[in-house]
Amino acid sequence: MTMEDIKNEVQTTSMVPMALYTVMYPVFNQLEKVNLSAAQTLRAAFIKAEKENPGLTQDIVLKILEKKNLEINYAESLLRMATEDVEEFLIDRREPEFQELNERARALKHILSTIPDEINDRVRFLQTIKDIASAIKELLDTVNTVFRKYQYQNRRALEQQKKEFVKYSKSFSDTLKTYFKDAKAINVFVSANRLTHQTNMILQTFKTVV
Amino acid sequence: MEEDVKKVKKPGIVSPFKRVFLKGERGRDKKTSEKTTERRALHTFSLSQPDHRIDPDILLNDYIEKEVKYLGQLTSVPGYLNPSSRTEVLQLIDNARKTNQLAGQLTPELDAVVSLSAYNIKLVWRDGEDIILRVPIHDIAAVSYIRDDSLHLVVLKTAQESGGSPCPSSCPDLNKSQTLGSLSESGPGLVEVCCLLVLAVENKATAEELCLLLSQVFQIVYTESTIDFLDRAIFDGATTPTRHLSLYSDSSSKVDAKEAFEAEASTFSFEGSLEAADSSPSTPASPQTKAASEGELSTTAAELLQDYMTTLRTKLSSQEIQQFATLLHEYRNGASIHEFCINLRQLYGDSRKFLLLGLRPFIPEKDSQHFENFLETIGVKDGRGIITDSFGRYRRTASSASDSTANGAGTVGGDSAHSGGAGDAPAPSEGDEWDRMITDISNDIEALGVSMDQDGGVSP
Repeated sequence: MTMEDIKNEVQTTSMVPMALYTVMYPVFNQLEKVNLSAAQTLRAAFIKAEKENPGLTQDIVLKILEKKNLEINYAESLLRMATEDVEEFLIDRREPEFQELNERARALKHILSTIPDEINDRVRFLQTIKDIASAIKELLDTVNTVFRKYQYQNRRALEQQKKEFVKYSKSFSDTLKTYFKDAKAINVFVSANRLTHQTNMILQTFKTVV
Repeated sequence: MEEDVKKVKKPGIVSPFKRVFLKGERGRDKKTSEKTTERRALHTFSLSQPDHRIDPDILLNDYIEKEVKYLGQLTSVPGYLNPSSRTEVLQLIDNARKTNQLAGQLTPELDAVVSLSAYNIKLVWRDGEDIILRVPIHDIAAVSYIRDDSLHLVVLKTAQESGGSPCPSSCPDLNKSQTLGSLSESGPGLVEVCCLLVLAVENKATAEELCLLLSQVFQIVYTESTIDFLDRAIFDGATTPTRHLSLYSDSSSKVDAKEAFEAEASTFSFEGSLEAADSSPSTPASPQTKAASEGELSTTAAELLQDYMTTLRTKLSSQEIQQFATLLHEYRNGASIHEFCINLRQLYGDSRKFLLLGLRPFIPEKDSQHFENFLETIGVKDGRGIITDSFGRYRRTASSASDSTANGAGTVGGDSAHSGGAGDAPAPSEGDEWDRMITDISNDIEALGVSMDQDGGVSP
């Protein structure tokens, strides 16, 4: 798969924003230890640029990989990296339900990130899928608990985000059905990345709205 | 040379002694050969080597037969038996053969045919084709191959059904009285028990072929079941309502529920929700919020229904869908929730009992507790089902999920049940809304059945 193929593939998906917070944020975090000011400037610049031009960060990352002739499966690498917490998305509220939401999201992202290691062993992969199923259900249960217990103004935004998450969960299931027929793992990685992104978006929505 | 000549057989001359002696032999040979020629050819396919791969379609839409010898089935075997332990398994088999629970000698009377598909293993006698037993795939826990000198045994560890199982005619049918349920009293407490189905095959190659075929069946079945499990988990998590679809308020969040309740009562419809909202006088929320929430509610309810109907279409035949619609009608017209559950369970069978989960949003509050209890008794509550029942996996996850789901489902079952005393008796308009919703569902489901008939049906 060429870089162009990867670029075409990822551009049609909803994992474009992941390049910024999954790939670049850890880089900025490390850079802060070397030069705090430069790292913060760079972070702010990337955030602003990405906001104005969605997909820019991903283009930069893919171009760097191309220039360095690195044979990396971008979708697979992104998925492995996606297990890391993104501070900007973690919910600060101390109530148990919100902390549980953080935990459930973390658990789901973690199990999704193990897909590349398990996909080639059918028995283990089936077990992973069952773990993913349980993690999705637990996350949705926690979302519903928060819906029931807390008052908030913009309920529509929360419900919309929940629907998006359910939509991408179903899409992930459909992708798995296709995978068991055509054995194209890349599609599973891409779909898992999209689901990871939606998980982060649930956290972000609850963080800003509730 | 003379001796060579003497040794040549002269046709037509047979000693009288030999004629009498050999006549019986020829007779028995004739019967045996007649018997052999009477046996039909097995339904087999060529398998790709070296791993004996078979086209999955054959296992899904057809079947494959292998010849075996049926030694018998041991029941009430402790469930903790390690099927990989040659010593443990052989010890059981040896004891069983000593006590005549299993056949001792391999005779032609034990000849049987094992028929394998993605749905079950069926064992029939080679002669006469009488059925010995049938084991659904999800009841098979493990398959082992044990070579004991010249004996090549294939042993299946299976779930134990109540009522015992047949043994070869040469073995007494013991343990029937001990086979009620899958638990047996042993020592201080109950022990989970299983069965061992013991087959003998001709050689190592045949045994390995049978084991690999079963392995492929497991792969097909459990891949499909795993995806079903994922779909159920998504459906269940998505359908746990943010607002009650059964139109009853939740005591733990009265303010939230009240707004939702009134919005639902005035506008609950699958079509024209916004028109209904405009004409409804009773909602306290602002028009924009009301229209938005009603639109969302109707969208949510429509999505739920659409999801459930999509699932039904893929899992039930058109006749079964019509049966489902009939049961739903009967329930709506006064049949008890108990009857409804039992009939549905019968309709769906063991492999599709998880479909009951999808009915959760449509069960009214007064029956939700019974419904939840029923789901638990048949092992499908919280996504438990075929996989976890047979293999005991996910007990930890399921229990933690069930805790959260019990809390989550409290709004459908427990909490509302607690709050569902006399003070929460529904106003007539709520019952009308419920009736209309169920009528819509029934009509849509019946229409689904008709459209499926027109499309030529769907494969199960």
